[in-house]
Amino acid sequence: METHIETPEDDNSRRVQVRFVTKLNSPLKVPSNSIAIPSNLTRFGLSSVVNNLLQAVNPEWKTEPFDFLINGELVRMSLEQFLLAKGISAEKILEIEYIKAVVPQKEEEPSLHDDWVSAVDGSNPGFFLTGCYDNLGRVWKSGGFCTHILEGHSGAVSSVSIINTDGVKHVTVATASKDQTVRLWKFDTEEPVIHPKKIRSFKILRGHKASVQSVAAQTPGDMVCSGSWDCTINLWRTNESNAEGDQVSIKKRKGNNQIDESQLEGEAVSTLVGHTQCVSSVVWPQQETIYSASWDHSVRTWDVETGKDISDIFCGKALNCIDVGGEGSALIAAGGSDPVLRIWDPRKPGTSAPVFQFSSHNSWISACKWHDKSWFHLISASYDGKVMLWDLRTAWPLSVIDSHKDKVMCADWWRGDSVISGGADSKLCIYSGIPIQ
Amino acid sequence: MRAGKKVSAEVSSPKKKEKKNKNKQENEEKENEMANKTQLKKVQSDKQKQSSVKKHDEEGQKLQRGKERRKEEDLDNESESGSDSDESDYQDFSEDISGDYESLGQSDDGESESEGGQSKSSGDEVHGDNDDEDNVDDHHREDQSDGSEDHQGVEESDSSEDEVAPRNTIGDVPLEWYKDEKHIGYDISGKKINKKERQDKLASFLANVDDSKNWRKIYDEYNDEEVELTKEETRLIRRLLKGKAPHGDFDPYADYVDWFKYDDALHPLSNAPEPKRRFIPSKWESKKVVQYVRAIRKGLIKFDEPKEEKPQFYLLWGDDSSAAEKANRLAYIPAPKSKLPGHEESYNPSLEYIPTQEELNSYQLMYDEDRPKFIPKRFTSFRSIPAYENGVKESFERCMDLYLCPRVRKKRVNIDPETLKPKLPSRKDLKPYPTTCYLEYKGHKGAVMSISTEASGQWIASGSSDGTVRIWEVESGRCLKVWEIGEAVQSVVWNPSPELPVLAVAAGLDVLILNTGFGSEEEQKRVKELLRLEIPTAPDGIDNMASIVSWLQDERLEGIRLRHFKNVSSVEWHRRGDYLSTVMPAGESRAIIMHQLSKKLSHRIPFKLHGLPVSSVFHPTRSVFFISTKKNIRVYDLLKQKLIKKLETGLKEVSSIAIHPAGDNVIVGSREGKLCWFDMDLSSKPYRVLKCHPKDITNVAFHRSYPLFASCSDDCTAYVFHGMVYSDLNQNPLIVPLEILRGHTSSNGRGVLDCKFHPRQPWLFTAGADSVIRLFCH
Repeated sequence: METHIETPEDDNSRRVQVRFVTKLNSPLKVPSNSIAIPSNLTRFGLSSVVNNLLQAVNPEWKTEPFDFLINGELVRMSLEQFLLAKGISAEKILEIEYIKAVVPQKEEEPSLHDDWVSAVDGSNPGFFLTGCYDNLGRVWKSGGFCTHILEGHSGAVSSVSIINTDGVKHVTVATASKDQTVRLWKFDTEEPVIHPKKIRSFKILRGHKASVQSVAAQTPGDMVCSGSWDCTINLWRTNESNAEGDQVSIKKRKGNNQIDESQLEGEAVSTLVGHTQCVSSVVWPQQETIYSASWDHSVRTWDVETGKDISDIFCGKALNCIDVGGEGSALIAAGGSDPVLRIWDPRKPGTSAPVFQFSSHNSWISACKWHDKSWFHLISASYDGKVMLWDLRTAWPLSVIDSHKDKVMCADWWRGDSVISGGADSKLCIYSGIPIQ
Repeated sequence: MRAGKKVSAEVSSPKKKEKKNKNKQENEEKENEMANKTQLKKVQSDKQKQSSVKKHDEEGQKLQRGKERRKEEDLDNESESGSDSDESDYQDFSEDISGDYESLGQSDDGESESEGGQSKSSGDEVHGDNDDEDNVDDHHREDQSDGSEDHQGVEESDSSEDEVAPRNTIGDVPLEWYKDEKHIGYDISGKKINKKERQDKLASFLANVDDSKNWRKIYDEYNDEEVELTKEETRLIRRLLKGKAPHGDFDPYADYVDWFKYDDALHPLSNAPEPKRRFIPSKWESKKVVQYVRAIRKGLIKFDEPKEEKPQFYLLWGDDSSAAEKANRLAYIPAPKSKLPGHEESYNPSLEYIPTQEELNSYQLMYDEDRPKFIPKRFTSFRSIPAYENGVKESFERCMDLYLCPRVRKKRVNIDPETLKPKLPSRKDLKPYPTTCYLEYKGHKGAVMSISTEASGQWIASGSSDGTVRIWEVESGRCLKVWEIGEAVQSVVWNPSPELPVLAVAAGLDVLILNTGFGSEEEQKRVKELLRLEIPTAPDGIDNMASIVSWLQDERLEGIRLRHFKNVSSVEWHRRGDYLSTVMPAGESRAIIMHQLSKKLSHRIPFKLHGLPVSSVFHPTRSVFFISTKKNIRVYDLLKQKLIKKLETGLKEVSSIAIHPAGDNVIVGSREGKLCWFDMDLSSKPYRVLKCHPKDITNVAFHRSYPLFASCSDDCTAYVFHGMVYSDLNQNPLIVPLEILRGHTSSNGRGVLDCKFHPRQPWLFTAGADSVIRLFCH
């Protein structure tokens, strides 16, 4: 194929023999014969070459941005510089794998809140849940369309978590608040609503002696765990049929002349003690393992059965957020009181040094989340007002979302192709159309 | 033995051949000796005769020894008489020794005789020491000396150093220089004298046993040869051994010859009669003596008493250099040397020294100081060199310089300035400490006067000059609560007890105890109970106290209002959270009041105040109370109610004080920008004074758990220091400046007004006059 005409002709530049390969499906495949391209091409140039190639096959092809991998690393500079930096020989035919560029393509309508958005959970593709500093939790069908308002906390909601998504109709969620309680809520997502419906919690989980900072649901299961300023992690049951607790709570409520008898109270099943400072974030990705990050500069892994911590990663900075995902759902990403997002591989023996460090932020990192399908992608939100999309294969962020006016307090993936983030500008922004295969 | 010698002789040089000849002679001697021995019997008769002579001789000797003294006195007569009696005996002997004496030459008959006797006696003594064999030997030798007179003469001439110059000419140099050489030196013609082959010990011993003359032989190291001593030489040695004059001719007791005789002179030298004064004692002498005697009696003259031996001390650890310097106090300081002329000053220097025209032009553009003093020029010959126009001027200047310029020897200490720096650990090793500002707490409208962190570190409270008190969430920077006090807030302090989440706020005349609303419900209940006053005022309290402080319920702010009689500048909680102390700088003797929250009572402190109080602090662990006045800090024991210590700051005006969580170290900030660190165990003077802020220090703070302390100042900066206090009492605290925290802007000439550490993280909060609170994280 004659492609020399299409590429900008430049006699001074050196040429590299490349072959474009991809794992994408057939309409995106280009012929696999090698071509010579100028070595000073950047990602944009490479992308236009691929688009040209595709156009040659299919005249109706619309241009699309691509990202390029050489030896498993994303190209982030000109091809020549990249080859020099990585010490790759330009003599051989270079195989360049191209993937769809992971960038948000659309910014949807923001969901406006009354106060700072402190927490968001987008693990259910049907809706997402936010917590707010006005003591309310909210359920959103899509951007700007609120279906339910979770009312009852007497302090700012600090964390939210969707517990079970198996029953499509009835969804259970948990919210943690600075009023030292965790509340469980139940609602029907399918029922048609015009105005946001106010609902009350069906169970109040009391037991923490200070603000609850984080709540996480057991991924396959019906338990939640919560981390608090009292340095403990409490495990709770979420089932309704808590007979003895039920009665106790009713009595108590009656004594207090409260109206809602329906509210249950729950006691902690067990308490994980070991952190010496505020447990700022917990995740419960596997049935028997809880990961927690704390202001005491450590990331701990807890065995739920025994209640002991299995491993302990010392970081040196107070940590605000933690998430587990990536390759084999085993990499721990955590961010905290400095602008560095650190990723540890606990499977590596004998080292507690992070395997990746991303430091493009300017302030504290408030949230980090792995993409639940991709091994490489994760997002981080920071107090500098930016949400960054990271790929493990490059040290630069794939994209920087800079639409918040103030601190970004929380961020999450939604529906696999969107990023939702809430901040101190009382706004929840949604960016969709992120092509992650 | 001989074979060996022959071998050596073959190898050796012509000199050796001489030696060989000598050896031959020796051999001849020996043969002679053998011949003598065979003739022994013949000689026997002679010997007997000799022995009889000897006996006679001995008698004569004894007589002579007894008479020795007399002989000295009147030698002349004695010798005459002695010669008469011993004439025949001597004659025999003289025959024997005549050969020897011939060389010496006889000057005087009598003397020679006496000398012969002496020499004989000396020989006798030696004989007495030796065996009879030696005696025989001696005679043999005497015989032999007779026989071998001619070649002995040769030998004498060869070995005697007086007559013949040594054959080695190396001079008076250590002989070991030639130890390793093959030659021992050089002869007079400059040829090398080779070393003789050494005999091995056994061979030489055997040779010595064979050789009867062996005892006379001496090895001359200098010439590397064996020397046989002659008779005269042996005698000379004997004389020396006896302590007599070496030369036999010398007479130690020679008569005095009075050459000038005036007895029979006609005229004496002076004809004057002996004067009278020669015969009478001197008057003036006796007077002088009397004078001395009197003086001695009176004690005016003291005889030297034996001086007491002063023990000699010296400075064992003293500096030697200083002592040496005192010794040469007026050391000569040499004048500075003028520069020596170089190649360019030559009358005909090489071309590269001659400046080009461009260079000369460029000199014109230079400043006078930069212009070169001397411009090299070329002259083809000496004749064409002109007179140096500046010669007189320069020598005059040089003289003036030498004369007028005072010269002082500069003491240059040769020390690397780097070594003078204290060895401080690197900042990297002292991490974590706050470095970067990541969070700002914005909301106040006026300067933030005071901040305080809650015990767990979740919240901070701040008081501002806009009349509000705010509570902030540390992690997010959100303002959770606002109280409108109405007056500029001077001080805000959280209660240190975690169960009692209340705030003490000083504003104007009042101190407010505010309920923050945090904590669990039970805690809230307890707090509300605590903050309710049963009786609106305390009429049954102490009367004079009522005039100073009144406890009021504040309905609007839901707290207690403690109304003081003067403006309150600072509040401080006791560590248990029940007592709080307030400071009213204008309150004079009632400036510091202690309040008890549980009993709603106020007390005056039982100590007299010295000076204007600035602030008061409770000891973090013991019942000790610190009161800082403008100059000093007094430390009181609250239980014993007495002064423990007075810390003298030496500062003009103390502004703030903070106590190390262990309680033994205090830092004090001052209005002049100085920070004093007191180690209370060490002294009442500052252990270190750190001058780092150009403007007033507004506050100082210690970290509760990390070894950090900080000071903030009106220059809009806060300094963070590492302040390690060791539990080992021998080790002084380590203070290392770590970081300057900038970021605040100045407002009305004020900068950072307060700084507090996060109780659990190495973070620092700073409150600025620009109404912002900043959090600096590690």
